[in-house]
Amino acid sequence: MARLDIQNLVKRYGDFHAVKDVSLSIADGEFLVLLGPSGCGKTTTLRMVAGFIEPTAGRVLLGGQDVTLLPPWKRNAGMVFQSYALFPHLTVAQNVAFGLEMRKIPRADIGKRVEEVLALVRLAGYGGRLPRQLSGGQQQRVALARALAIRPDVLLLDEPLSNLDAKLRQEVRVEIRELQRQLGLTTVMVTHDQEEALTMADRLVVMSEGEVRQVGSQRDLYERPANRFVAGFVGRSTFLDGTIETPGHFRTGGGLELKCTGGKMGAAVLSLRPERVEIGPVSLPGGPLSGLDNQLQGTVEFVSYLGSLIDIHVRLSPADRLVVQIANREGGFSPEVGQPVHVGWPLSAGQVFTD
Amino acid sequence: MSATAVATGPVVEKRRGEGLTATALLAPATIFVALCLLAPLAFLFRYSLNDFVATKKMMVEAVTIANYVKFFTDPYYTAILGTTVRIAVMVTAACLLLGFPLAYVMARTQSRFKNVLIILTVLPLFVGNAVRSAGWMVIFGNKGFFNSSLQGLGLIEKPLEIMYTEKAVLIGIIAVNLPFMVLTLQSVIESIDRAVEEAAFSLGAPPLTMFRRVLWPLAMPGILAGTILCFILAMNAYATPFLLGGPLFKMMAPLVYNQFTQQANWPFGGAIAFILMTVTLGLTLAANLIFQRKAAR
Repeated sequence: MARLDIQNLVKRYGDFHAVKDVSLSIADGEFLVLLGPSGCGKTTTLRMVAGFIEPTAGRVLLGGQDVTLLPPWKRNAGMVFQSYALFPHLTVAQNVAFGLEMRKIPRADIGKRVEEVLALVRLAGYGGRLPRQLSGGQQQRVALARALAIRPDVLLLDEPLSNLDAKLRQEVRVEIRELQRQLGLTTVMVTHDQEEALTMADRLVVMSEGEVRQVGSQRDLYERPANRFVAGFVGRSTFLDGTIETPGHFRTGGGLELKCTGGKMGAAVLSLRPERVEIGPVSLPGGPLSGLDNQLQGTVEFVSYLGSLIDIHVRLSPADRLVVQIANREGGFSPEVGQPVHVGWPLSAGQVFTD
Repeated sequence: MSATAVATGPVVEKRRGEGLTATALLAPATIFVALCLLAPLAFLFRYSLNDFVATKKMMVEAVTIANYVKFFTDPYYTAILGTTVRIAVMVTAACLLLGFPLAYVMARTQSRFKNVLIILTVLPLFVGNAVRSAGWMVIFGNKGFFNSSLQGLGLIEKPLEIMYTEKAVLIGIIAVNLPFMVLTLQSVIESIDRAVEEAAFSLGAPPLTMFRRVLWPLAMPGILAGTILCFILAMNAYATPFLLGGPLFKMMAPLVYNQFTQQANWPFGGAIAFILMTVTLGLTLAANLIFQRKAAR
């Protein structure tokens, strides 16, 4: 295992910038997740690390060694593909042995290591099967075993779980994460699934339009999103468009006067997490809404009942609508469409973006 | 009629209807093949066992293997069979060698001109064998376009002997067969997940090793189908060897034709036809077995 450094990586296809100046450092043993919508450049970045795509500019350093110009077969990077890309004509054991044979490891040692790695992914005894005789989850584990067998300097995962059904996906997430910790694997995973990203990563990189929008821990991204894109992409936010008239005072497009923290003067957007907003039938002294910095009246416009949670869409003004999420508790507030309500939130719950 | 019979009736009827439909769908093609392929072959085989009186140019009913013996004991004929097999093998090898890279590029290209490429590949087949061969006669003749150009440029003194040689026949059949090989290979390569190649690369296989260990074995069904198609076509090539090979160059298909039309020797012609067919089938099966055993390793 080794550290991985990506320095000012750029990929252009004609006029199209697939990746614009991406720099990242992944520490030895760290699990980094590249998260973003499709077409954001995350896969292109990963494929440049793997060596399948030649960067237009920038460098890739693996364990301090510049590998930018090395072809994929000369980099020691283990890759797990979205389609698994198992060799269909080879048995499970032959698949796992492939990389070891390329490294000219003696036959006897290969057999031993193949068994070790298959045991690691709980596929001991499956060595003689062909990939098509395995379930999707098992194939996924073979792909992982094949990448691990070569003892890679870095493990690259390209949407490795997207072909599994939802239930299996949750199990495999934990499995891969535990294996990664146990072996101390430097890992880069690409995904568009934020739940997957949040579960598995040590650190996340949110990308869009070929650029890194924010790098940080789960908490960093959720509590302190750097910009509107991250606030909307990681978790959910309600955005109220408006302007900051004087520092600390936000006026929405619908004319509501709100208190906010900081922000430059001018056009801005106020972002609120649905579960950080309090809601009640009326604002009573000593009630849940008392003492909140912002208190507003509104009308329930739409309710979606999600089981453990309830989403309530509240109309605050003709131009402003807010989503509030509450826990579905025994005897809790049960809103009805058309009902007048009060909503409120503390200063700290709102975040202003001026970008 | 009881109520039960009424209730079960439609189910039975539907099944019978399906059977009838299947028969109706299969029958025309089956009858066509039986009448137009199997029957003539059966007659031809029977003829090949007949006697031929050379002086009267007449077929006499008999049951003899004399025609087959004649073919295999006369070096003139066995040499023609040898040439045919040799040419077919060379053509097939050349088509595979030339066709694989082309098929690979066509299968993997992301270009929007991919369809144009495919049409360009098939385009040669729009021109009949006879027409194409006639065109080559114009180009490759001793005073043809090719030689006069080279001579005019002072690159050669004497015209290159291409027409009426084995070279001409080889070039000719390769050009005819190449599209079949390319299209067969292309469809198979297209079905191979590109990520599989990348997986091999990422595991440390350089391109040639990747080709040998991954692409080639996975493309094997296409390689088999393409080579078989190409080999059979080359073994039975008629117009190209006839027109480009000239009077001295002999292959099996023109020989069969010659026996039937020039010599009127139907029994011997029939025998040659059957020998050609059997050799083609035998070699194809043998190659198939060898390839499959290799692939199974």
